[in-house]
Amino acid sequence: MSIMSYNGGAVMAMRGKDCVAIASDRRFGVQAQMVTTDFQKIFPMGDRLYIGLAGLATDVQTVSQRLKFRLNLYELKEGRQIKPKTFMSMVSNLLYERRFGPYYIEPVIAGLDPKTFEPFICSLDLIGCPMVTEDFVVSGTCAEQMYGMCESLWEPDMERQAFEMTCPVSRIIEFDRMSTTVDSKWDSKGIISKDGRCGNNTASSKSMI
Amino acid sequence: MALLDVSGFGAHSDLRLFGAAPKHFLDPQNHFTFSVKRQEFAVPVGVDPSAFLRSCSREGGVSIDLNHGTTTLAFKFRHGVIVAVDSRASSGSYIASKDVNKVIEINPYLLGTMSGCAADCQYWERLLAKECRLYKLRNKERISVSAASKLLSNMMCGYRGMGLSMGSMICGWDKKGPGLYYVDENGTRLSGRMFSTGCGNSYAYGVMDSGYREDLTVEEAYELGRRAIAHATHRDAYSGGVINMYHMQEDGWIKVCQEDVSELIHKYRKGMF
Repeated sequence: MSIMSYNGGAVMAMRGKDCVAIASDRRFGVQAQMVTTDFQKIFPMGDRLYIGLAGLATDVQTVSQRLKFRLNLYELKEGRQIKPKTFMSMVSNLLYERRFGPYYIEPVIAGLDPKTFEPFICSLDLIGCPMVTEDFVVSGTCAEQMYGMCESLWEPDMERQAFEMTCPVSRIIEFDRMSTTVDSKWDSKGIISKDGRCGNNTASSKSMI
Repeated sequence: MALLDVSGFGAHSDLRLFGAAPKHFLDPQNHFTFSVKRQEFAVPVGVDPSAFLRSCSREGGVSIDLNHGTTTLAFKFRHGVIVAVDSRASSGSYIASKDVNKVIEINPYLLGTMSGCAADCQYWERLLAKECRLYKLRNKERISVSAASKLLSNMMCGYRGMGLSMGSMICGWDKKGPGLYYVDENGTRLSGRMFSTGCGNSYAYGVMDSGYREDLTVEEAYELGRRAIAHATHRDAYSGGVINMYHMQEDGWIKVCQEDVSELIHKYRKGMF
């Protein structure tokens, strides 16, 4: 069994008009066995900046903690919140440091610029190659299914209300198709917009198809 | 046509008479069936199936990954036999279907469950259903649970080592009362009071063992079966979907219910989510 599917998990982020959304599942399992359904995979790194980590659970926790450490130092030195693009470079650097013995995670970043509120999403591979997109990013064990759902549901410049439905719906459907994420809670950090984050939606997925 | 098949007459018997057919074209003799006709599968010329299938399951080479994901259970109690199964079919980590029926209704007094390779289970249990029907037609009485499970077990023995994967429970009610047998692809055939198969079986055993008593009422037994499958599907990634539950009574089986596991697990673990 592959290391990336040992614990399983999935994260995705979508971009809308002046807002972004990030969502993940909450299952922590060991191969076929589920251990808990409230495992955190999305971590706040600023008022309007979140990182979601999919992959090996131990690395999810280690990377998020080490990243927070570096981010705290940055904020103390700079005296301001980090920009999403800079944060992406910080993550990329942290991952490439382990080029020959990598962290087994695939991060997804979603956030708004602290000053201009410009939306930003990106994903990276396990050794830190950044990929910035205009529409959506996905990573995890059901990436293929997520690509399918996002591709069909996403439209450019979606207003917040329409956006609120799209992200959860695509989550539920693709989760139900993968045994390592299905039947877990999914956790949406809600829509991040310039008025702040709206709502933390947590619910259990049921079969919808 | 049917009579011709049943009596074993046909082109094949001519081949045998004249010794024209080379031995390796036909399957080796199997004695699982009471009828004359042999079971035959198309086999490539000069290929030995066991050697070929052994190479397919070896690590490192090409590996045919047969799906094993499921949870099924059955237990005997005072008022008959309860059979409960989940309904998920998985291929690797992809969920192929969420509403497969893993119980085959052989006849109104016999049920078979399926776990392991879906194709193997469906084929061999349907073949078992055919043999049970033939038995009834020839002997004018229903086949016993013991004989039915023996037929299936002999079928498995005939193909032992060739990579079949099947874990099945044959449940029924015959002259001797309620019957429950476990049959698997090695030819194991065990009679017992309680079995569970599939990769979620350990979770189901835990719940069943804690709640089982011989003198359960019918409603309590239904609840026990429901709980065991629900908890197994909750923990096991390869089980899920709906619970299909059957109750084998003296005058035949009844289908008790078909319930979604996610709704059930919310009921049982209120406050956990």
